[in-house]
Amino acid sequence: MKITIQLRGSLTKYFQGEKVRSVEVPDNCTAEEALKTVGIDWTAIRNFGFVAVNSRRVMIYDRLKEGDELKAYPKISGG
Amino acid sequence: MTMLGYQNKVLRVDLTKKGATTEPLRMDWAENYIGSKGLAIKYLYEELKPGIDPLSPDNKLLLMTGPMTGTPVPCSGKLSISAKSPATGTINDCSIGGHSALQIKYAGYDAIILEGALKEPGYLLIEDGNIQFKDANELWGKGSHVAEATLAEKYGHDYSILSIGPAGENLVTMACINSDYYRQAGRGGIGAVMGSKKLKAIVIKGTGGVKIPNIVENTKKITEILRADVLQEDNTFIYDFGTTAFLEACSDGGILPRKNFSDTTDENWTKYNGDVLLEKRVGKRGCGSCGLGCGNFLKFENATVEGPEYESIAVAGPNAGIDDPEAIVKFNQIADDMGLDTISAGDTINFAMEMTEKGVHDFGIKFGDKVKYLEYLELMAKREGVGADLALGVKKLTEKYGGEDYALHVKGLEYPQYEPRGSWGMSLAYAVSDRGACHMRAYAPNEEVFAASIPPYTAEGKGELVYNLGVFNAVKFSLCICDFWATLSYERMAELMTLITGREWTEQEMKDVGVRVLNIARAFNQREGFDRKDDTIPKRLVNEALQSGAAAGQKIPQEAFEDMLDQYYTVIGWDKNGMIPDNILCQL
Repeated sequence: MKITIQLRGSLTKYFQGEKVRSVEVPDNCTAEEALKTVGIDWTAIRNFGFVAVNSRRVMIYDRLKEGDELKAYPKISGG
Repeated sequence: MTMLGYQNKVLRVDLTKKGATTEPLRMDWAENYIGSKGLAIKYLYEELKPGIDPLSPDNKLLLMTGPMTGTPVPCSGKLSISAKSPATGTINDCSIGGHSALQIKYAGYDAIILEGALKEPGYLLIEDGNIQFKDANELWGKGSHVAEATLAEKYGHDYSILSIGPAGENLVTMACINSDYYRQAGRGGIGAVMGSKKLKAIVIKGTGGVKIPNIVENTKKITEILRADVLQEDNTFIYDFGTTAFLEACSDGGILPRKNFSDTTDENWTKYNGDVLLEKRVGKRGCGSCGLGCGNFLKFENATVEGPEYESIAVAGPNAGIDDPEAIVKFNQIADDMGLDTISAGDTINFAMEMTEKGVHDFGIKFGDKVKYLEYLELMAKREGVGADLALGVKKLTEKYGGEDYALHVKGLEYPQYEPRGSWGMSLAYAVSDRGACHMRAYAPNEEVFAASIPPYTAEGKGELVYNLGVFNAVKFSLCICDFWATLSYERMAELMTLITGREWTEQEMKDVGVRVLNIARAFNQREGFDRKDDTIPKRLVNEALQSGAAAGQKIPQEAFEDMLDQYYTVIGWDKNGMIPDNILCQL
């Protein structure tokens, strides 16, 4: 299925500086699996933060649908 | 052994008698509380009698540096300004950026303690060991920006100037202390304490230095720490974006409040987000000894500010129903000049908007009214017209007119802009914070929301989470290291303390300091009569479920909150009523 992946902050380096890409991912895959498709293993990124689908935070193992916009954030610390 | 990094000198100023003396720093206390936050609270615990009126001459205003202030340690330029809070009656330690901390240290002092009160408006001029009491009648009534510019013109731009605006002069309990025009000791009415002493400003310049061991070798080590630790992308995002970076994350995370915390997220957030605001960036700035440079100068046609920070954007943006970026920036600029805490001032006006819309009391302003939003700031600072009521803050307005169901504060300090129904641990963090609802004591969203696999909508484990975050920040802010050095660790803190003081410090000692600081702050409040009944969750969070965003459907059951409170008290060693047992009290 086709989805959009947006990267924020320092994570854009995984898209060579681009912020957004349309990608083909397995049907009904999880956010984690979708990121793996584009070479992003969140467990190996020390400052990986969280993911949102269609501008709503989800858990990394939540499943995606056709046309979803998946956003990945680095950790942002502070107050 | 004698620790280096300290000047081993306190300047004690008697404003009533217009006299000043110096005394040694209590190094025995410094061993246990380090400096800044921790040492300031220890001093106030020992020197203030319980039950004093925070706006009386009996209160003391402490300006406390840390051992790293004025050294090459990055992110060490903040100053703790502390007193008993007139907003809450609790201990209140604030942290201000800029350069005044360095000037105080270079003048030869670890701390300045201000006692008593002037009879007429005045300002202090401190030039190393020379202390002068000056007349401020011509500055009284002026905005903080004009006052600072006037004094800078008179003495030189190489002086640091701490000042209050009309809000502090009029004893508004959400008044702040300003420095470098756009940096604040913001919360809890610290500016009103300064105003109660009729002190308009402190002008200070120091020409000395700070001794550290093996200065050449240790400076090299510290520079390597800057390169390897501070200047990595986990921290440097704050240079690129400032705290505007938090807006989209909080909106997606379901914790960006809207219309007085009645809901979350805002479909209009792209009108005032970081991309829009930073298009107007004309300059950058950092504090003394910084390394990260979070400050952004923005210039719109009719508004200029260093900022705005996330809190100010959120409170004057979606939480007010406003989506005009220039209006948000103007709000920040006026609040700074008037000397008002943007969080408390904005929250109070937002509460007034809801009261008006619900027909409970007409404050003459509804959500989205960006014109009156700006007008009301000056009225609040001067206690004029409707401002006389609004200056009271949310808690006292509730007591006067009602609206408790949607009044968001703890102990009288208004809520920061992180919605706890989307981050349950934050409701606990706000409740047990030493000065009322503060987001800087234990920043739970970092672990609950901005993390991929930790569930935010549960009470499980949140007591330990808030305890661990609170201990860490308590020692971090006693060192005094800026919050934005996000990758700082206990190990690093111990390493820096060893490099700067010449005494070996361990990670465990750092943790012990953090726990001790949490306890001394609680002991101060306990002595003032605070206990479990004051560690509260606002009714709105318990009774109303969010309608929108990632946390749609969430509210926090009272029993879940009580469970989180029980967990916290257990892990920190307090009893079921939130009281510190005698065996811990006697060690403080």
